Amino acid sequence: MLPSDRFLIRIADITCAVSSADPPLRMTVDESLHNFLVHAGQPDVAIETKIGNLTAFNDIGDLIFDSGAVWRLYQENGTCSFSFQSPSLGPAPYKIARIRRDFTQGEILIHGPFYETKRSIYPLEYPLDELLFINYLALGHGAEVHACGLVDSRGTGHLFLGQSTAGKTTMARLWEDDPGVTILSDDRIILRKIDNQIWMYGTPWHGEAGFAASTRAPLNKVYFLRKGMRNQVSPLKAVESASRFFSCCFPLFYNRDAVDFTLCFFDDVAKNVPCYELSFLPDKSTVEFLLKAED
Amino acid sequence: MKDEKKRNGQKGKKPYLRPEVRQVQLKPEEAVLGGCKINGGGSGPGNLTTCNPLMIQCSVLGTS
Repeated sequence: MLPSDRFLIRIADITCAVSSADPPLRMTVDESLHNFLVHAGQPDVAIETKIGNLTAFNDIGDLIFDSGAVWRLYQENGTCSFSFQSPSLGPAPYKIARIRRDFTQGEILIHGPFYETKRSIYPLEYPLDELLFINYLALGHGAEVHACGLVDSRGTGHLFLGQSTAGKTTMARLWEDDPGVTILSDDRIILRKIDNQIWMYGTPWHGEAGFAASTRAPLNKVYFLRKGMRNQVSPLKAVESASRFFSCCFPLFYNRDAVDFTLCFFDDVAKNVPCYELSFLPDKSTVEFLLKAED
Repeated sequence: MKDEKKRNGQKGKKPYLRPEVRQVQLKPEEAVLGGCKINGGGSGPGNLTTCNPLMIQCSVLGTS
């Protein structure tokens, strides 16, 4: 994508507009987000980016959460500030995102000394883009889960959830050659309830296999993955399923209301979509097994 | 008679489900965003630069 001063991305029917208030700041978008670029639409989230000097930028509120990685969350007077820092770059943050509490509006301040004005940058570079979306979702719009999501040739939407090494990417690769199959993602799926239907959406934050479709599909079946010696499904009760959903999401530990919404949301999904534990073999027999189970 | 009415309940009322306690295993390195994904970070594992503004290695947390 050519550098520009404004772009729109739409993920899970949520449109984020990013603009540059600073003429020298030329923006670009990561390649994995190219499928999620749109040219028009009313933004749900509007972000302005600026270059500044963050050396003395200390007063951004109370520390609410330390990720243990590059970002920390501060809060003051209804504004959430995500501060991004790398020890190798010194004590000053290299970027601060100040977002309104409802996550509909905000600004990104980029530390000038670390960015050449001639170079184009992606202001929402990971993990900020995903952070914005999971925070917005947790305010009543849905949830993101560690999952592989796909639609088979009959139009049935399957969601395969699991933590690291559970087999999400393996599952995606087993289905990819089947005609008529659309793989939404091999690592991150967003779930939303719209018009009384649970939808699953592809996201740009893919796994090793690189599946990142900017489409959605109705969610018809949920499988919690477990490696095993044979293909087997066991139905799960709603309460068990809701618990497992929670273990595969990104809880906002610092926001009680968000955690409450997320739990209720997963409870709703678990009560309305059949959920199973799936033990599977890492070969094509799994696909045949699941298609046969539909009949 | 009263007991019978109580047992049958009103029409449309869901049966009472006792609260249950469930233990959930959360892995901090996966539940919290921010670590690089397995091949270096960014929105996808192939992108080495996105989460490193100056291509400096950050901590590797979380895998796909």
